Amino acid sequence: MSKFFSFLGKIYRYLWLTITSPIWLPFWCIGWVSDKIGLSNWIADATMGSGAYLIYKNLTRKPLRLFLTVFATFIAFLIYGTITAFQVALDSGVELSADDRLVTVNKINFTQPLPISYVNKVKAVEGVSGVVHMNWFGGYYQDPRQQVLTFAVDQEAMLDVYNEIIVTDEEAANWKKNRQGIIVGKSIADTHGWKVGDRIPLSSNIFSQSDGNSTWEFDVEAVYTGADAQTDTNGVYIHYKYFNETQSFGGDYIGWMGVRTADASLNEQVIKAIDNMFVNSPFETETVPEKAFNKAFIEQIGDIGLILGSVVAAAFFIILVIVGNSMVLSVRERTGEIGVMKTLGFKSMRIFRMVLGESLLVALIGGGLGILASYGVTGMINSVPNPLPTLVLNSDVITTAFTYVAVLGLTTGIIPAISALRLNIITALSRT
Amino acid sequence: MTNETLYDLRAVEKSFVKGKERITVFDQLDMSIKKGDFLAIMGPSGSGKTTLLNLLGGVDQPTGGEVWFDDARVDTLSETQLAQWRANNVGFIFQFYNLMPMLNAARNIELPLLLTNLSKKQRKKSIETALELVGLADRSKHMPSEMSGGQQQRVAIARAIISDPKLLLCDEPTGDLDRKTADEILEMLQLLNREFGKTIVMVTHDPSAAKFAKRTLHLDKGEFVEEDLVS
Amino acid sequence: MTGIFSQIWAVIIMNIRSLPRRLWMSLAAIFAISVVVAVLLSFLSMVKGFQQTLEGTGSEDVAIVTRSGSRSELNSSMSRDTVNIITTAPGIAKNADGTPIYSAELYVIVDGIKRSSQTEANLPMRGISLDGFALRDQVSIVEGRVFVPGTNEIIVGAGVLREFEGFELGKQIKFGKTSWTVVGVFSTGGSAFESELWADARTIQSQFQRGSSFQTVRIRLSETGNVDGMLKMVEDDPRLILDVETEAGFFAEQGEALNTIITFGWIISIVMSLGALAGALNTMYTSVSSRAAEIATLRAIGFSNISAFFGTLAESIVLSLLGGVLGALVSYSFMDGLSASTMGSNFTQVVFTFELSPELFQNGIMLALLIGVIGGFFPAWRAARLPVAIAFQRGN
Repeated sequence: MSKFFSFLGKIYRYLWLTITSPIWLPFWCIGWVSDKIGLSNWIADATMGSGAYLIYKNLTRKPLRLFLTVFATFIAFLIYGTITAFQVALDSGVELSADDRLVTVNKINFTQPLPISYVNKVKAVEGVSGVVHMNWFGGYYQDPRQQVLTFAVDQEAMLDVYNEIIVTDEEAANWKKNRQGIIVGKSIADTHGWKVGDRIPLSSNIFSQSDGNSTWEFDVEAVYTGADAQTDTNGVYIHYKYFNETQSFGGDYIGWMGVRTADASLNEQVIKAIDNMFVNSPFETETVPEKAFNKAFIEQIGDIGLILGSVVAAAFFIILVIVGNSMVLSVRERTGEIGVMKTLGFKSMRIFRMVLGESLLVALIGGGLGILASYGVTGMINSVPNPLPTLVLNSDVITTAFTYVAVLGLTTGIIPAISALRLNIITALSRT
Repeated sequence: MTNETLYDLRAVEKSFVKGKERITVFDQLDMSIKKGDFLAIMGPSGSGKTTLLNLLGGVDQPTGGEVWFDDARVDTLSETQLAQWRANNVGFIFQFYNLMPMLNAARNIELPLLLTNLSKKQRKKSIETALELVGLADRSKHMPSEMSGGQQQRVAIARAIISDPKLLLCDEPTGDLDRKTADEILEMLQLLNREFGKTIVMVTHDPSAAKFAKRTLHLDKGEFVEEDLVS
Repeated sequence: MTGIFSQIWAVIIMNIRSLPRRLWMSLAAIFAISVVVAVLLSFLSMVKGFQQTLEGTGSEDVAIVTRSGSRSELNSSMSRDTVNIITTAPGIAKNADGTPIYSAELYVIVDGIKRSSQTEANLPMRGISLDGFALRDQVSIVEGRVFVPGTNEIIVGAGVLREFEGFELGKQIKFGKTSWTVVGVFSTGGSAFESELWADARTIQSQFQRGSSFQTVRIRLSETGNVDGMLKMVEDDPRLILDVETEAGFFAEQGEALNTIITFGWIISIVMSLGALAGALNTMYTSVSSRAAEIATLRAIGFSNISAFFGTLAESIVLSLLGGVLGALVSYSFMDGLSASTMGSNFTQVVFTFELSPELFQNGIMLALLIGVIGGFFPAWRAARLPVAIAFQRGN
């Protein structure tokens, strides 16, 4: 029976080595080469003085253990990076809202209409520098399931009020001239392969033309980009007049107005002025700063922030427990050696710093790789057409991530470091 | 204190609490070690040999009395100061060698030098000299696991002398070695004592090992009972 | 062969008995696994609760008619005439007097304040006639009474009462300029309708300037699941630009967004499991190496290496099961029965409760077991192949 075991064992061992070779082979090769050319020796010499070499040697005693702890850290930071990128993307809708823009909707609910006559009245309010009225079209492309965020707008005012939509002057002029013109965002254009000059059909799941048909045709006059990497480019914009003339019900109503103020400090008074104008009318309005409106919208989805945050916290908790425990164990195994180092004259503080150095190094390697990997994952997600906003790992996320790396490194190392610090030489030596 | 005395223990007391009892190891112990001495300390287990060695090595502090080393008091030094003092003045040699398993011979020997300000080059030179001295120049890159007991002990000796300490403390240095290898090690210690003037205190239970020393003290229940001199 | 089994059993017992000695290490593995299981179960219970709500909302006996392509009640609209025409189609159940059983309804959105976030969220208000009650299984008034047709009275769903403020019996609410009074609370057995406010259809038409048009028609089918009669009529009549399907099918489609959440939940759980697996492996390898002398001694005495293998594997499985159960308990005590609401496909809030069913527990325990088996397999192998000589080595 045991012969069988050892035979199996050999097979298993070689199989295991072959399968995992992509992981260890590069390291082994680098190690072999640098040994031969004396590089390892030179590096060891260079780092010995500071104790860094000792830290490295201590960590690599049990390569499997090192791999497992680094891997666990890697997983946690991969999760952190990807999820935070997602959270930032969600927040960016809120963050990127212009300070000097307001949204005026029907007080009952933003799905209720407002009369178009309100537009000129709002334009006349003091402090207002621009107004664009907008209607939700409920658009889809070919299949009702392929939703397209379509807005029927006042084409003259649109690009001025929402100036984060970037098109060339020529394109803007073309769009304004063409009743059937449509400008599409880069993201949605890439998804469906739309280019300037194409004629595309868009259907509405709310409105239909007087002949019962609910599909309209449009000419793509521009593919717009956003002023910021995170600006949403999934929306498309058509002329209100074209849409209004041809659809069968709704009359002269608009969905809501985007209002630009001359300065953010005037927001309060403009809000009051607008809403007061329409109080007690059949269509009362509610005006809010754009940021507040976007925020409220996201909040309706629920406390996504809480859910995602909990997931990240859970992931960090796991590695804290695993890596921390590993560090404690590995220091405990070295009690004798630590005792000897102290007899040689190494100060307790120095040994304390060395242990912390180990845990920080593990956190740095695992965390660094994890963050790197989340670049890859977010990149992959971004390249596939999906309803999610563009995931970007901006510098804030990276800085926070590395702060967490440091915190994690310190937390997992502090307990074993302190026990190494306090280790009594006599007890340490008598244990061996 | 004369210039000849390296180590002077005056009325040293050492006791500790174990459970509910207070156990006294030494009471009013006096001891004097001359420079260049090679002293063996023998005694049954429980006599306090190890405790004495720990006191001498600055690894433990007495609960009473004074400890003088080279005209300076050692028993009043703080933990950190003691570490520095050990680095400067003492080399340890243990029964089970206590080498760092993940470092090769040369790097094990280099360890005490990390506590000095020597440059890389200077360190390298010292290591080479030490390795030559203990006859292991060709094994500098070997790991402890690749060496015999005797070779490991020689590396340990090299490590102990590399900072040129005045005092070498040995705890059963030949306890784990066969007769022949033990003799080689002991001869090396004699060499260090004779040629380099190192003061050596060796704790051992092996009478034939004690014969290599200049004098032997017998310790029993915390007191010196006998002294043998070897001419 | 009884020898080998009692050997294995003996070693397993020994290993498990010695667990307390490796307390912190074992606890670390248990916690890691419990966190992973808790995360997985939380996601699954959220999805399950949402699914239950949507599934309960939708009968195979009722057809729902919407404007073609609208995909949700909110976007749909149809005139009185259209309603009159479609309700003459074949396949519709009839009353005693021969009239078709149907309910023409409206669906608007109003604002309510969510208790949990204290912010405004969209609430659906349904304009329904008293006929409409008959088209919903399990409707009952649990407090108060039904609204009187033609008045500004509303009844609120039990879910709305739970999740939103200010809708208690007798309260007055203002939507826009009109004032409404809450006269009753209704329950529909936990389906999505409980997230709605119901008022008289005609009142809604006038207050929201709808004239005489509706948005959807619900029709009782004479044969369960059979909407062919109506589909044919729509096909033949060019005036009818409508979608007809069973109510169950209609709501099932709305639940498709859940798939994204399910996928996300599983992906996250698996990724985190890898981390926990690393922890389990670490624990078990350390356990084996710290007991190397013990294991080798057992083998020197004569225990076979198979028993060493199973002993170690059993230890890993015990740890992971403990972790799984702990995680399930934590997630149960926090999540089960937790009421929450989120934006549904109509931009309105759907109230649902998290539900941790036994089936979900199974998933969690399976995951834990998987981690335990993989995490224990390789260390167990190493334990089985330890050279017996270690037992005789000094220093161990």
